[in-house]
Amino acid sequence: MIELEQISYTYPHTAQKALDHLSFSISRGKCVLVTGPSGAGKTTLCLASAGILHHEYGGKKEGTVTLDGKEVSTFGSLSEVARTLGIVFDDAEAQMIFTTVEEEILSALEYRGLDAAVVEKRLSTIMEKTHLTELRNRSPHHLSGGQKQRVALAATLALGNDILILDEPTSELDERATSRIVEILRSLKNEGRTILLVEHKFEHFRDMVDILVVMENGRITAMGKPEEVLSDERIRKIVVADFSGIRSGTEDKAAENSPGKNPDTVPIISVKDLVFSYDKVQALDTISLTIAAGEFVAIVGENGSGKTTLVKHFNGLLMPKSGTVTIAGKDTRVSSTTELSRQVGLVFQNPDHMFFADTVYDEVAFGLKNLGITDMDVIIRAALEEVNLGHTSALYPRWLSRGERQRLAIACVIAMQPRIIVLDEPTTGLDGNEARLVMEVLKRLQQKGHTIVIITHNQEIAGNCADRILRMDGGRIISDTPVRDA
Amino acid sequence: MAEILAYVHKDGFFHRLHPFTKIAFILLFGLMSILTTNLVFLIAMVLVVLVIFWCANLGKEVLEQFKLIAIMSIVLIGITILTMPSGETIGHIIPSAIPVIGGFVPITTGAIEFGLVLTFRFMILICVFQLFVISTQPRDIVQTMERLRIPIDYTLMFLIALRFIPTLQIEGKRIHEAQVARGYNPGAGFMGKLRSVAPIVIPLVSNALARATVLGLTIDIRGYRTGIKTRMREFAFKRRDYMTVCAIVLTGCGYGILLIQQVL
Repeated sequence: MIELEQISYTYPHTAQKALDHLSFSISRGKCVLVTGPSGAGKTTLCLASAGILHHEYGGKKEGTVTLDGKEVSTFGSLSEVARTLGIVFDDAEAQMIFTTVEEEILSALEYRGLDAAVVEKRLSTIMEKTHLTELRNRSPHHLSGGQKQRVALAATLALGNDILILDEPTSELDERATSRIVEILRSLKNEGRTILLVEHKFEHFRDMVDILVVMENGRITAMGKPEEVLSDERIRKIVVADFSGIRSGTEDKAAENSPGKNPDTVPIISVKDLVFSYDKVQALDTISLTIAAGEFVAIVGENGSGKTTLVKHFNGLLMPKSGTVTIAGKDTRVSSTTELSRQVGLVFQNPDHMFFADTVYDEVAFGLKNLGITDMDVIIRAALEEVNLGHTSALYPRWLSRGERQRLAIACVIAMQPRIIVLDEPTTGLDGNEARLVMEVLKRLQQKGHTIVIITHNQEIAGNCADRILRMDGGRIISDTPVRDA
Repeated sequence: MAEILAYVHKDGFFHRLHPFTKIAFILLFGLMSILTTNLVFLIAMVLVVLVIFWCANLGKEVLEQFKLIAIMSIVLIGITILTMPSGETIGHIIPSAIPVIGGFVPITTGAIEFGLVLTFRFMILICVFQLFVISTQPRDIVQTMERLRIPIDYTLMFLIALRFIPTLQIEGKRIHEAQVARGYNPGAGFMGKLRSVAPIVIPLVSNALARATVLGLTIDIRGYRTGIKTRMREFAFKRRDYMTVCAIVLTGCGYGILLIQQVL
């Protein structure tokens, strides 16, 4: 159904090839999963396979792409290509054009030249298949990431094409939302559709993937049946993140070096009877919690369980409706956010929300200037070295790969030397190696005496890196378990 | 958080009107407010618009606009005072009691009156446009514009502009939080707002551009631009539309006569 032959592609204004003599094909009804480090060219591969590179983008192209037996450059326009395939991108929000779920799917159906009765029937089938029937009148701003991604998928299914290309459809989703997408895709595959999937979460899709492709630097470095590909140790580390030994390898040193030698006695974060609500929706329900200096805490739970709302109280972005939050002995209500940012560094899920400077170096300097620190050079270089980005200091932050941008976001925060570092989903969109790298950085920071709090959907991370796991549900902490290595 | 100019799913009489009827209404009120300089008549129009909002079950939505309108009116009146002095002088911005620099920049009745006319005019324009946008599903706007033979590319541009106002608003808030978490404190007031521009606007625009690329591809690949359209679930012109259009035409005629006779 999709055939790429010796495809090379260079984006306009860049020198490096994004795709480098790449060939592969997918036959009808098969599912191919492509994975690899960020910046390896996976998204470009999606664009190439969908014929978009040949129609929308400039740049240098070589080789041919054939869709359903027809070469893409012979299609008149992208709209014609759209009759053979559908593509779903990772940014779900950008794919919602209309203002209700039903309208979105219906509008995609209306342009198929079908009979009105057929359209109505298909609309209800698709909504059922993607579990959206109950959400039909909701606006996109009031949907969770998983729901939005299902709407984007539904609108693509409305096209009724046999080939589906999905670029990281689950990157920002929690366990439950991810398994819903997996379940939908599995049933689509059983209907005989051909699926090209770019994903980091191979484990979730394991039983439906026919061919696993690993890309690095614009080339395919491994391709074949999943078991065969995974038998190579180096490749396996890219595909499946391995966090084992991150905690145990360093535990002894951590105990010696941490300033709170007996962590249980020095609470650095203390939350008492915290209640918070957005308008009328209660987000946090009488939460009480203490975190000791030097602890590594993972907060887990489904989307909407109140994890992010809780950590926003740590640096004063949100103030309690009732109850108190005390950071290093000081009530957040009497401290300014600037004051708190010296104590608590918060790294949000999407690093692109913070970058604005012209160079990586200036980006890190921004936080230090805000704190009025003048002698910055040494601190900045040390922070960049800490996250292995020393070589990038003169580059434009947005040119870095996703994994590098994530580490830069961490560098921006650690340069400010807060005692507490809070990270919201620090491994989103990273491959196995990159995710491990980030977790190792955090572990080193813990050894230097920082208190680390991470929010994560990933059980592996929580279980292998943290000293303590807090599970949240419906605005409450439902379990608080210490983790010890056997 | 309240979203600006997003469709509100409710069942009010304005929601049930045909988009054509609503467009006729906007045109009438828009024209009337632009052609009139009579302050009393403009105030009366504002009241009528507010009553319509209230009847349409959208009272809460219009109240949310008032902060913006209040800021706008202060700016407008300020500008007219500075640039269009006329009529009686009722005071000075720099009080004459202050020696040497006192007694400058007169505040005149003519300027205040004209400032108020501009304020009410904009208020009416903003409110009727908002009434149309929040009570009409984008799909119906697209259909109506197609009927009016406006090319689909322009319709989509209009639609996307509307659709992404709330998205940018939410995104802006997230970026602000991310910067505040880095100890960023632009300070309050005008200078603070000015200083806050780069760290907020640059990520906002960069992200919006990336998003626009995805959006453009999505529009193409879903075939919105070239497909053959199935006409379905379209609004029918009902009795209430005929009645509303009659009312609009009568009001328009009445207004025309008053205008010709120079009552207004």
